[in-house]
Amino acid sequence: MDVTLNFEREDKDDTHVLLRVIGDVTIHTSTRLREQLKPLFTTKMQEIHVTLEQVDFMDSSGIATLVEGLQWSRLTGGRFVLSGLRDNVKDVFSLAKLDTVFDIEDNTTA
Amino acid sequence: MVAPCIQDVSFSEKESSHVGKLCLQLNCNSDCIHVLRSMVAVMTARAGMDELRSNRVAIAVDELFANIATHAYGGKAGRVEMETCICNESDRGPVLIFDFRDFASVVWSGDIKAAANHEPDPANLTPGGLGLRLICKVSDHCEHESLEDGNHWRLIFNINDGEQNGCNA
Repeated sequence: MDVTLNFEREDKDDTHVLLRVIGDVTIHTSTRLREQLKPLFTTKMQEIHVTLEQVDFMDSSGIATLVEGLQWSRLTGGRFVLSGLRDNVKDVFSLAKLDTVFDIEDNTTA
Repeated sequence: MVAPCIQDVSFSEKESSHVGKLCLQLNCNSDCIHVLRSMVAVMTARAGMDELRSNRVAIAVDELFANIATHAYGGKAGRVEMETCICNESDRGPVLIFDFRDFASVVWSGDIKAAANHEPDPANLTPGGLGLRLICKVSDHCEHESLEDGNHWRLIFNINDGEQNGCNA
């Protein structure tokens, strides 16, 4: 289990970015996810793709941060996509009844 | 600052219904949440729970601890004691229990049942309020007791037929 959270950012072009999240997203690390996500939401960004393949554990603070991302995307008009959710992370989305609210893809192809 | 202190308590014959009780004392604003999760992993393995259920128990414990840190202690330092054990209850059979005790001056006054029943509105999503909903979803019983010097929380997970979603406050 990770107590740190790391990121890899890949800019496909000026309008399309992929963010890989690496580690556990908890109350202690979710502010770092928020810091990484928020600047991505600009009016010119058409797609923000967050891959969670390397996230073993996510609690409600992580989900809440992604809910904020969804709100920002609705304001800026871009697409906000999640992918690579492991079964236990997918389960948390499902328990929170948010699995159908987010745009979730099964793979990391952006 | 309270350093984490873990005890694996042995019981006498009188207390043999408790299998391997674990106790932990920690500071709620430390980064020791991984210690809690290790204890959950140990206890869910002892209870024979699968990976998915074990993760759900970890979510509930993590959320409750975060709730205490955020709402009882307001993000400041504060002592939290946690005990966990497997025991047999006459009405439930074998259960996994987590007891949390804080010593905060703020007594929790929320409504567990309301939080449990709150459904997200996709058109008007808000980032808050998820924690208690998750706790109630995955635990079979969740209760809160106000004390003179803090709060006591109990989470119960049925081992044989889990997730009946009972919440009391």
